[in-house]
Amino acid sequence: MTAPSFAQRLPPRRRIDTGAWVSGLTYDRAGRRLGAACGDGRVWRIDVADEAPPTPPEPAHKGVAMAIVADPAGGGFISGGDDGQLLRHDEAPHEVETFKGRWLERLAAHAQSGTFAVAIGKEIVVYGPSGRRLLGPHPSTVTDIDFSPDGSRLVATHYGGVTIHVLKPADAAPRKLEWRGSHVAVRYSPDAKFIATGTQDNALHVWRLATGKDMQMSGYPVKVKQLAWSHDARFLFSTATSLFTGWPFAGKGPEGKPPIQFGDEGAGIMTAIAAHPVDSFIAAGFDTGEVQVGDSKTRRSAVIKLAGDGQVSALAWSPGGWNLAVGTDQGVVELIDLRR
Amino acid sequence: MTQVPVTVLTGYLGAGKTTLLNHILTENHGRKYAVVINEFGELGVDNDIVVGADEEIFEMNNGCICCTVRGDLIRIIGGLMKRPGKLDGIIVETTGMADPGPVAQTFYQDDDIRARTRLDAIVTVVDAHHFLLHVDDSDEAREQVAFADVVLLNKTDLVTPAELATVERRLRQINPYAKLHHTRRSALASTEILDRGAFDLKRILEVEPDFLESDHDHEHDQSVGSLSLTSDAPIDEQKFQRWISTILREFGTDIFRSKGILDIGGAPNKYVFQGVHMLMDGDWGNPWKDGETRSSKLVFIGRKLDAEQLRRGFEACAVR
Repeated sequence: MTAPSFAQRLPPRRRIDTGAWVSGLTYDRAGRRLGAACGDGRVWRIDVADEAPPTPPEPAHKGVAMAIVADPAGGGFISGGDDGQLLRHDEAPHEVETFKGRWLERLAAHAQSGTFAVAIGKEIVVYGPSGRRLLGPHPSTVTDIDFSPDGSRLVATHYGGVTIHVLKPADAAPRKLEWRGSHVAVRYSPDAKFIATGTQDNALHVWRLATGKDMQMSGYPVKVKQLAWSHDARFLFSTATSLFTGWPFAGKGPEGKPPIQFGDEGAGIMTAIAAHPVDSFIAAGFDTGEVQVGDSKTRRSAVIKLAGDGQVSALAWSPGGWNLAVGTDQGVVELIDLRR
Repeated sequence: MTQVPVTVLTGYLGAGKTTLLNHILTENHGRKYAVVINEFGELGVDNDIVVGADEEIFEMNNGCICCTVRGDLIRIIGGLMKRPGKLDGIIVETTGMADPGPVAQTFYQDDDIRARTRLDAIVTVVDAHHFLLHVDDSDEAREQVAFADVVLLNKTDLVTPAELATVERRLRQINPYAKLHHTRRSALASTEILDRGAFDLKRILEVEPDFLESDHDHEHDQSVGSLSLTSDAPIDEQKFQRWISTILREFGTDIFRSKGILDIGGAPNKYVFQGVHMLMDGDWGNPWKDGETRSSKLVFIGRKLDAEQLRRGFEACAVR
């Protein structure tokens, strides 16, 4: 009877059944509330300290709530939907802007500069303290966006590579880095030395920004939809693998070196991944519904959510890293308390 | 995971695609469809979801030169799957000038789409009045017919019986296998269009029970046409796999569709396979019945098919 005693060792959690695909999760800047964007258009704001079951909100979007970020200019959230609406959620949701007939699937926010951005087809709209700015058009639909750690740049992925927009100074020309194929995810390294993409061709692609030199890590069994750099920029992890697989970027970089690998075979294929904000942990969710937390320092991992509830579709760490939120395609949200 | 069937609707501008879509959507009260269109036309949709697409065609960076997918479709279907409630089907309309290849290949190449949807059939609407005008100088017009599982020969009221017969003969030169319907104003029961299972290996035998027996009279088109190969000798599975993968790798750009039922030597079940360009799926189907004549048949629809080379290659797959 090992399973029941094992289950009892799992950290405490709250479980909320939203009833619809969890397409995005994020904590607000203070870590007091969890925002969950769902397939039925609802944007849940779940009080982290309040143990009572939350009341389901009215749908904020007419179709799918596709993306959510913490509002960098306030205490709430910003969400985007397939109804073309960009919404700000303080107490009640209200419109930032509506893009008729467009899907708002990708958002990014930079807290220190009070800036956020939304991809609208081939273009990007950036909202900051100095106003609204349009970037693009890009060669194809923008598939993901990310701010540089200092907020001075915004990188966009599209077919054929990435475009780095310079936000400060505003008149500098964008920089293009090319690699054939369709890129579907992008993340700046926390030290701003690299840009990594996940591709439709079951690979990672990484550019070293100082030289523009690039590298390709291929052979993943499925396309790479999410990326996570460890907080210290030493390792790059991704989904589309059954073991935690981290490419080493410390020192001279990963050329000619194998990745570190750890975890349990048999948990499934990773479908969501998120790096701890201040420590060497990485959370990974699987297509079986299992969630593991791995440590890139000790190269060990532990199961913190058992399989079930569909595929893990979203993961989010609280700002201090004491709480982890898990969302699945069957609508389950778990808030896991890692302090105890 | 239940897979949502996807119907691909092709045809020249003005052939009657939008009219057909309106028939399907108004006929099926209580069923829920998502329709992916290129421009917001006049669709009478209340219960259904209409999404505008951009036809972004992306090459897969996997060394396979003809392997292109529709990047916008991957995103759109991914988004549709997040909606609550089950969809009864997805209908993807392509622009008049589109090659159906990238749409079909998307359903083989993307893992998420494969898991949650299945390609059901390619339906092509042909304007009987205008088809002969553009078929000889338009690759797209020929490809749309070549790829089809179902063809609506539409606007039959605008041509004479003799003209209709000429158009039909020309269609059959390109694709003798598609299910052909004569229609006016795209009027056809949606059961003839939706849920055909044309790509379902298990249903190839049910949908075309006479696949092995029937032989179509081929009048070969110089550019796009079909080829059928038959064999009464049992086939060696390994030899066949080696041969077909070589053929599709070398000539996949020109082979639009392939389909086959094989008598593998010593196997109790039929081996069924079908492909789109270089991508193929194969599996064991129903067992051969007692007293049933075991034989094999392959069909190819494509451009510049080298009949002699394909025939010799297939014959060499026989068990020795």
